Amino acid sequence: MSGIPAAPAVRAEERLSLATRRRVRGVAGFVVGVGGFLVIWALLSRFVFGEFTLPPPAEVGRIMWEILVTGEFFQQFVPTILRLAYGFGLALLIGFPIGYLMGTSRWWRAFFHDMVMVAGSIPGVTYAVLALVVLGISIWGPVLSVGLVAMPYVAINVAEGLDSVDRKLVQMSDTFGRGRATIVRNVQVPSVAPFAFAGVRLSFALAWKVEQLTEVFGSSSGIGFQIRHEFEDFSIPGMLAWVLLFIVFMILLERFVLTRLERHLFRWRPEDRP
Amino acid sequence: MSSATVAASSRAPGRGPNRIGQVFRSDGFARFASYVFLLVLWQLLSLYEERFPPPAEVFGFLWTEVTGGSHGGVVRGEFWEHFAATLPRFTIGIAISMLLGVLTGVLIGGSKAAEALLKDTLLMLVALPAIIWAFLTQMWLGLGDYAVVITTFLSAFPFVAVNVVQGIQAVPRDLRRMSGAFHIAGYRRLRHLLLPAVAGYLFAGLRFAVIIGWNAVLLGEWFSSSEGVGWRSRYWYDANRYQGFVAWVVAFIAFIVLLDRLVLVRLQRRAFRWRDAQLSDMERQADEIDVGVTGA
Repeated sequence: MSGIPAAPAVRAEERLSLATRRRVRGVAGFVVGVGGFLVIWALLSRFVFGEFTLPPPAEVGRIMWEILVTGEFFQQFVPTILRLAYGFGLALLIGFPIGYLMGTSRWWRAFFHDMVMVAGSIPGVTYAVLALVVLGISIWGPVLSVGLVAMPYVAINVAEGLDSVDRKLVQMSDTFGRGRATIVRNVQVPSVAPFAFAGVRLSFALAWKVEQLTEVFGSSSGIGFQIRHEFEDFSIPGMLAWVLLFIVFMILLERFVLTRLERHLFRWRPEDRP
Repeated sequence: MSSATVAASSRAPGRGPNRIGQVFRSDGFARFASYVFLLVLWQLLSLYEERFPPPAEVFGFLWTEVTGGSHGGVVRGEFWEHFAATLPRFTIGIAISMLLGVLTGVLIGGSKAAEALLKDTLLMLVALPAIIWAFLTQMWLGLGDYAVVITTFLSAFPFVAVNVVQGIQAVPRDLRRMSGAFHIAGYRRLRHLLLPAVAGYLFAGLRFAVIIGWNAVLLGEWFSSSEGVGWRSRYWYDANRYQGFVAWVVAFIAFIVLLDRLVLVRLQRRAFRWRDAQLSDMERQADEIDVGVTGA
């Protein structure tokens, strides 16, 4: 009978068309969403606020294009993104050991509990101005505030991750006479690393907002500094152009780099894959 | 608390059964130790960087400010009048953001077309830092109450909307279908199906609105006000009296932490009881702080 071998072929074809259809739907959804955003913006600018108060998307788009093609964007984007990276490095460096202590010992958990819980509700502006007071106008201000903002998220996720380390694996290593150091290095750290990274990804959006704020207050380069510069020039379109470019790049970074990296780190435990 | 964590702590070596040891090992002592540790850290930091005032100076300044004593010369402490100026702005801003957030959330959660059209706009608004609104409203409206209130609700409402959308999408579809099949009246459906499902998300939304709105109200007052707590902290900052600025930072943090831990977290936990009963303490706490960042 020819019907039986034919069936999987049909199904494969269907699956292919389903994937294509999904991709088409994704692109269409994106176009509709961005279109909706631009239309709402244009209408508000034209009929509600007036073009002076809220410049139309075309004007802001033109400035964005100029900032991009003159290379000015990358000149400011690079220091901002480097500070963000250093800040997350700092957050991991401090957050990982704190999370480890919190996840393994009840006493340390009580010790850090209040700090970690409170950190999430501290207003970003206080980090920004405190960094300015402590460090003056320097590149380390944004680094410090990113580190402080992201650190509790890294710590709590590491602590949560330790909770989920395969206990049998630890017991087995113990039974076979592996020392504590070996267990920590070869079982616990690799299992927990993806959770630390999840903390980074979760706090990413908050961290770059606080970084912008710190740059607005105390920096002499970077996107936040440009935003302040445009504000002092009273240029609404210039300010919107900088912030929108930055948001677009950060969202792309989050979607296409961080989320993929996280999925890659979690690939060996599909049940926890985000 | 998981059994592994408990086991790990009771296995720790070198801890006798005596009573003093028990005191040192207690959670209460650990928390006490953490505050001592922070104060010591702060003191060391102020020794290292002289612009950063030591704790004693800051708390002394705060005391003068609260009691209305003299800061030297004719400058007197002012505290309550600034809270009295800020709290109405903050409350009105939060109220408007809840209203606007629920309306937007219901619109997006209830209709596929609205979702396709508006979801990306909402995500853009979530991503926009509050400082942009503070700058824009100052340029639009100059100094005054309006700029501050508008900064507050524009920064906070997208987070409410995102939470309401999630709440609506979390209503179990089976139950919705079943209540349709059994002809359950609209009121009962609202009371027993929709509200319990959405309530937790609504409280979570309120919590973020408050946390994000507090930051926004401070920023708004920093740039476009001549009274209020944000303005007062800027006043001391501009006067180069950093102990005054840090004293106000202590007050900001105390205010939001008390509001969050004593009221909002409890409301949220109560409303999410049905969902989170299975979670361990650790998971619940991780959720509570994770959720704060993503607005999810």
